[in-house]
Amino acid sequence: MTDDRESILSRVRGALAPLHERAPLPTYDSEIAVLRGLLAGRDLAELLAERMRRVNGLALTSPAAVVAHLRAGGHRHGYCDPALWPDLAPHFADGFTVETSFDRTRVDDYAFGITRAAGAIAESGTIILHDRTTASRLAALAPWVHIAVVSRADIFGDVTQAVAALGDDRNVVWCTGPSKTADVEGILIEGVHGPGEQLALIVP
Amino acid sequence: MSAQAIDRFAATLPAETRASVYQSTKTTHEKRTRLLFDQFPDPDRLRTLAGEIKQHAIENLDTYLPQAEARLRANGAQVHWAGTAEAACAHVLRIMRERGATKMVKAKTMVSEEIELADYLGRHGMEALETDLGEFIIQIDHDHPSHIVRPIIHKNRREIATSFEREGLGAYNDDPATITRRARHHLRHKYLAADVGLTGANFLSAESGRIALVTNEGNSRFSVAATRCHIVLVGIEKIVPRDRDLGILLNLLGRSATAQDLTVYTEFISGPRDPAQPDGPEEMHVIFVDNGRTEVLAGECREILRCIRCGACLNVCPIYRQASGHAYRSVYPGPVGAVLSPLLLKENFPQKADLPKASSLCGACHEVCPVNIPIPDLLLRLRARAKEENVPSPGTPPMAPWALLASQPTAWRAALVAGRALNVLPTRLIPVPALQAWTASRELPAWRGGEFRRWLKARRRPAPPAAR
Amino acid sequence: MLNRERTPLTGRRVQLMATCLCDAFYDDVAAATVEVLEHAGVEVAFPEGQTCCGQPAFNGGDWPASRRVVRHTVRTFAGEDPVVVPSGSCAAMLFHGAVLEFEKEPDAPAVEALGRRTWELADYLVNGLGVRTWPGRYPARVAFHRSCHSRGTDSVAAALTLLRSIAGLEVVEFGEAEQCCGFGGTFAVTFPHLSGAMGQLKLDHVRAAQPDVYVSGDMSCMMHLGGLAAREGRPIRTLHLAQVLRDALRGGEAKS
Ligand code: SF4
Repeated sequence: MTDDRESILSRVRGALAPLHERAPLPTYDSEIAVLRGLLAGRDLAELLAERMRRVNGLALTSPAAVVAHLRAGGHRHGYCDPALWPDLAPHFADGFTVETSFDRTRVDDYAFGITRAAGAIAESGTIILHDRTTASRLAALAPWVHIAVVSRADIFGDVTQAVAALGDDRNVVWCTGPSKTADVEGILIEGVHGPGEQLALIVP
Repeated sequence: MSAQAIDRFAATLPAETRASVYQSTKTTHEKRTRLLFDQFPDPDRLRTLAGEIKQHAIENLDTYLPQAEARLRANGAQVHWAGTAEAACAHVLRIMRERGATKMVKAKTMVSEEIELADYLGRHGMEALETDLGEFIIQIDHDHPSHIVRPIIHKNRREIATSFEREGLGAYNDDPATITRRARHHLRHKYLAADVGLTGANFLSAESGRIALVTNEGNSRFSVAATRCHIVLVGIEKIVPRDRDLGILLNLLGRSATAQDLTVYTEFISGPRDPAQPDGPEEMHVIFVDNGRTEVLAGECREILRCIRCGACLNVCPIYRQASGHAYRSVYPGPVGAVLSPLLLKENFPQKADLPKASSLCGACHEVCPVNIPIPDLLLRLRARAKEENVPSPGTPPMAPWALLASQPTAWRAALVAGRALNVLPTRLIPVPALQAWTASRELPAWRGGEFRRWLKARRRPAPPAAR
Repeated sequence: MLNRERTPLTGRRVQLMATCLCDAFYDDVAAATVEVLEHAGVEVAFPEGQTCCGQPAFNGGDWPASRRVVRHTVRTFAGEDPVVVPSGSCAAMLFHGAVLEFEKEPDAPAVEALGRRTWELADYLVNGLGVRTWPGRYPARVAFHRSCHSRGTDSVAAALTLLRSIAGLEVVEFGEAEQCCGFGGTFAVTFPHLSGAMGQLKLDHVRAAQPDVYVSGDMSCMMHLGGLAAREGRPIRTLHLAQVLRDALRGGEAKS
């Protein structure tokens, strides 16, 4: 098995050699890609909730509201990040089964998954997940409902700010609404492989 | 009967397919335009900026490729280089064999289509399952994608329901929600049983070695949550200099492709899973794929390497809307494909030299392209190359006699008058193929050659004194 | 998008490039162009040696043949005076297409210089001369065809400025106005099915708006669309912008 590293790089150099000058890296202010009109003067948590609704997501501000939502949807069995559970447990009354470890052999048993978000983007209605703060990738993905717990202070205004703050986590996922497809005749269907419902629980 | 394959294909496309391709491309295009122009004061500046960033990146690949490689290695990923499609496939097979793997789940990647990876792995005893809903349907139907973003734009729900029934995925039901639900249940167990997850990369940041990957369905997320080994196929042109450039490009990609501010899932992956994370790959392999790209870089159409595969040029293209994607006989259809597909064939360029001709050069593609690729100019360059290489072009009128005439004013003026013959001869008797092709479906206006010149002369001649 | 640098205008003398299509079929369009320019106080010269802009061969991929014609055109339109063309397509050939095919030719500077002083008619009137309103009357519903070669130029806005200023004239909108009509030069004969289907779509949209007249700055598109409509036995009335401007001066629609 030979590796083509040197031959590719020499072809690249050969291709570029005849250029009299190379296109410069443009200097620009990322502000050009910011929806400033949308953000101006807004409370970021409120804007996040508004923008999440626009992409068929839902932002709630109390554990009680989350529990009520799950109950209304008949989602009684789920997963919760063990680090979050002590605070949330009191809100889950009888009739709920919540596990704090995710068993991949019973992936269909979990109707909801509650994990920590590393942040959110108000402008686009996006939840940010980091590998370090997500207790289980599968638990945040496989259940029908995903609830991401977001701290107010971690909400970014816009996409370019969130890019600037990507940091050194090896797997950062931005979730903008529920999983969806329009592959069949262009008709929008939610919940293809990932959550059919994307919720955020915004906490102080 | 038209002399050109694409024209014949379009003529025989079922009316229903044409109607649905036309309708969905038109809808997406119109939504895209509204979104961009409602949200940004100057969306055209955003497009040209994105184009400048990508042009800089491809003209500095000699710097950025090794930089990205070093970063990826530092992040704990392994990097492989593949000069050809075969080499790329062989890397994947070797990685799988070394792990004793037999099952792969594949997220949608255009490069894997380009190198025909699934077939290759199948021939070598590996299972490679497509997980994007559209690609999954393509796979069970042994069909080909007809759109970069919407692979089954050419299929209707009844055909899909029939395929699902045939594959044992439930009794016939053509409700799109039911179809999607059945795929969800079928595929999630496939992810969990797979050894390897394969994805593409929409962008690769040289600065951080991060790949950015966008999907709406979440299939790439599932692939890298359920499996222990992640293989990434990345065309060498996917590189961007810095993370901050992703802020510009991601803002354009979702809007241009599907009229979304952001695609549902944007993943930034720079290495294997975090040590504390229970799910996901402990190994990450990134394969840099050339497969003709360095030849494109060396040529005069290198701007096409800026392409971010958004499909906006397909959606706006009047030819694509009439002909659909299979007319282009290529993994990359539409305007971008008409440039890229013949180029990627290298010395076999003549096989697809007809693609750049199938354009009225209307420029709509250039106008919508999020990286501002001057596609019509590139199509013209390829037409000139085809002519230079003497590739036959059936149905194209010869230009040399006309050029001779048009560079000799006296002969030109004589021909203007002689053209009056058109008015008296039945046109079907005139043995000029171009004229016959014209008059097969259109009337020709009356020939009035030289009239304007006569009018001008008469007008400029001073009026005789008697008339004063 | 077609970023173009332009030689600033000084005098009011221009050279008219009538276009090969007007030379052969649409003499009245060329005549109207002369009258419109003269009405705007412009002195019009007509270089007798002119033939064609070179576009057919350029689009067909025969660049050596095209360059031969372009070289002839550069010689014919020598001097400093601007060149005015009643066609967005031929104008774009001179300021964009020809420049592209001369990239590696020693005489590229002369070609670029010609491009810098070439103007499409409406663009010249509005953005060159500063004409904002057009006198006269033209009581009709007009659908305006945006030809593709004026995409990314100022010509469409200029033409609409003029049309909308004419007393009695109503500009009517129609569906998918940005889409190509399917002419595309040799494309029309090499890809007859696609060309015809695109033309039909355009005709459907235009007919739905029920204009009295369909107006364009490019006769090539009109030749295709008018030809299709006539063959169907449902002719549409097509005119060049210059004809409408001239007829407005005469107080209304021409009889023709
Ligand atoms: S060429 Fe431009 S518009 Fe077409 S797919 Fe590529 S990026 Fe999108």
